[in-house]
Amino acid sequence: MQRDEVKERVYKVIAKVLKIATAQIEESHSFSADLGAESVQSVELMAGFEEEFDIEMDEDEALGVQDVGGAIDFIGKHLD
Amino acid sequence: MSAKYELQETAEPNLLDDMFDYSLPPKIQFDGPLVEEIDGKQVSFDPKEALARDLVITDTTFRDGQQARPPYSVEQQVKLFDMLAKLGGPKGVIRQTEFFLYTANDRKALDDCRALGHKYPEVTSWIRADKGDFRLVKDAQVKETGLLTPSSDYHIFYKLKKNRRKAFDDYIEIIDAAWEAGIRPRVHLEDVTRADFDGFVMPYVAELKRRSEQVPADMHVKIRLCDTMGFGVSTPGVKLPRSIPKMIHRMTHDIGIPPECLEWHGHNDFHKVHINGATAWLYGCNAVNTTLFGFGERTGNPPLEGAIIEYIALHGDQCGIDLMMVQELARYMQSIGVEIAHNYPFVGRDFNTTRAGIHAGGLRSDERIYNIFDTTKLFGRPPRVSITDKSGVDGVALWVNSFLGLEGDKKLSKIKVHKVARWVMDQYEVHGRMSAITDEELAEQVKEHLADLYAARV
Repeated sequence: MQRDEVKERVYKVIAKVLKIATAQIEESHSFSADLGAESVQSVELMAGFEEEFDIEMDEDEALGVQDVGGAIDFIGKHLD
Repeated sequence: MSAKYELQETAEPNLLDDMFDYSLPPKIQFDGPLVEEIDGKQVSFDPKEALARDLVITDTTFRDGQQARPPYSVEQQVKLFDMLAKLGGPKGVIRQTEFFLYTANDRKALDDCRALGHKYPEVTSWIRADKGDFRLVKDAQVKETGLLTPSSDYHIFYKLKKNRRKAFDDYIEIIDAAWEAGIRPRVHLEDVTRADFDGFVMPYVAELKRRSEQVPADMHVKIRLCDTMGFGVSTPGVKLPRSIPKMIHRMTHDIGIPPECLEWHGHNDFHKVHINGATAWLYGCNAVNTTLFGFGERTGNPPLEGAIIEYIALHGDQCGIDLMMVQELARYMQSIGVEIAHNYPFVGRDFNTTRAGIHAGGLRSDERIYNIFDTTKLFGRPPRVSITDKSGVDGVALWVNSFLGLEGDKKLSKIKVHKVARWVMDQYEVHGRMSAITDEELAEQVKEHLADLYAARV
C-alpha cells in the first residue's frame, strides 16, 4: 500500500476517534500534546488502526508511537 | 567529608529477593543488636537470641476481644477456637487463649473448645483478684489463670480505693491462694505503663519472683505487662514507665523473670499496638497477647493476624502456620456480622486492591511491583484492581484479564479492552458518576464487548 493511502486512512481514524477534522491534522503532530488525545483515546486510536488496516499490533510498540507521521510509518511497516 | 557514591549499573535487576522472596511475607533481617541506654550504660539486645527463644502468640479474643462487642455464642467461640488451632499449626505458635468463667455460656464455651482435642491453643482463664473466683477455675479444671492486679496509683488509689501496702498485701494473698489451689497464676500488671516502677512495680514483682522460687517451675508466676491505655512506647531512649525496652529489661535483668514467664498485652489508643507487641518479643517477652482482627476494649489489642505475619517475617519461615485460615477467620467473622474495614491489612476487601491506573499498570507488568507478597498462594487472594476514573486502561485490562482468568500470552492487551475502558470513562465524564464501578457492571461490559471470551469463561 502506498504511503499516501496509509496516511489518508490514518487521518480518517484520527479524525473519527478524536472528533476533529482531517484538515486539523499534520504529520508532525503529537497525539497527546498537539491533538489532545487522552489515555483512553490513545488506546482507541490503536484499536482504530488495527480495525482499519486489519492488522494486529504489539501493544507496547504501538503505544510507543507518539506522533502521526510515526503512526503512518509504523503501520506501513506492518503492511509490508 | 561525604563518601563518594557511584552508580552501579547491572544487567539484571537486584530485587533483594533474600529479603523479599515473594513466597513469604518479607523477612525482617537484622545486621546488628538493638541498643538501649539503661541507667547510664549501653545495653544490647541480640535479635538472634530473641529468635532462639520460644516466641509465641497468645490470644484473648474471647476475653478482651469480647469486652468490645456483643458476646459470641458458644457455637461461634468453638468455631473460632477450632480455626485458631489450625492457624497456629502443630508447633503452637498460637499457644494459649483465655476465657471468662463467669456465666454458664462462658464455661460451656471453654468445655466445648477443649473437647475439640487440640493441643494448642491451651485453654486458660481470667478472673478478678477475688479468692471466691478460684472455685470457678478449679471447677473448670484450668491449670492457669490470669489475675487482675492493677499496678498504677491511678488504679490502686482511685479504682480500688486502697494504698500501695494494702494492694500489695491483697495481691500477694490472692496469688498465694492460687498456688494453694494448684493453679498457676498469671499476674496481670494492669496499667503498668503508668505505674511507679521503683515505688511499686519492682518491689511487687520481686516478691512474686521470690515466692515463685518456693513452688515447682511449672507453677512459677507469669507476668503479663498490661499497657492498659496504650501508653507504651517502643523507641529507645524513652523514660519509664512508658519504655517497653526498659520495662522488660528491668523484669528480666534486674528481677530475673525469665522470658517464658513474660507476656505483653497492649492497646491501640495511640496506634502503637502492633509495633509495641513486636518490640516486646525482641526485648525479652516470649508471649504477645492478641485478639483476632484487633478487636478489644476501646481501640483494641494487637491484631492476632498482624502478629502472625510478624512472626513469619522474623523467623523467615511459615513455622507450620496455615495462613489460609486468616482469610477463613475473616470470612467467618463477617458472616456473623463483624465489620472489617475495607482497607484493613491482610483481610480487608481492598487490602491488595489498587485503584490508580499507574499502579494497575505496574501490576499488569509484574504483580510484585504493587503486591506485598504472594497473596494468591498464601491467602488465596490475588491482587485486584478497583475500577474508577483513575484506573486508566491499565486497570481495566488488569480487571478483565483477572475476571476472564487469562494468563501469560493469553492476556488481552489494552487495545483489546478499549471498549470497556471507554464505557468506564464515559460513566464519569459523560454521566458524572461519583462511585466506583462494580464488578457486576464490568462483567456486563465484558459480556457485551468480549462476548466470545465471556462465554468461554462461563
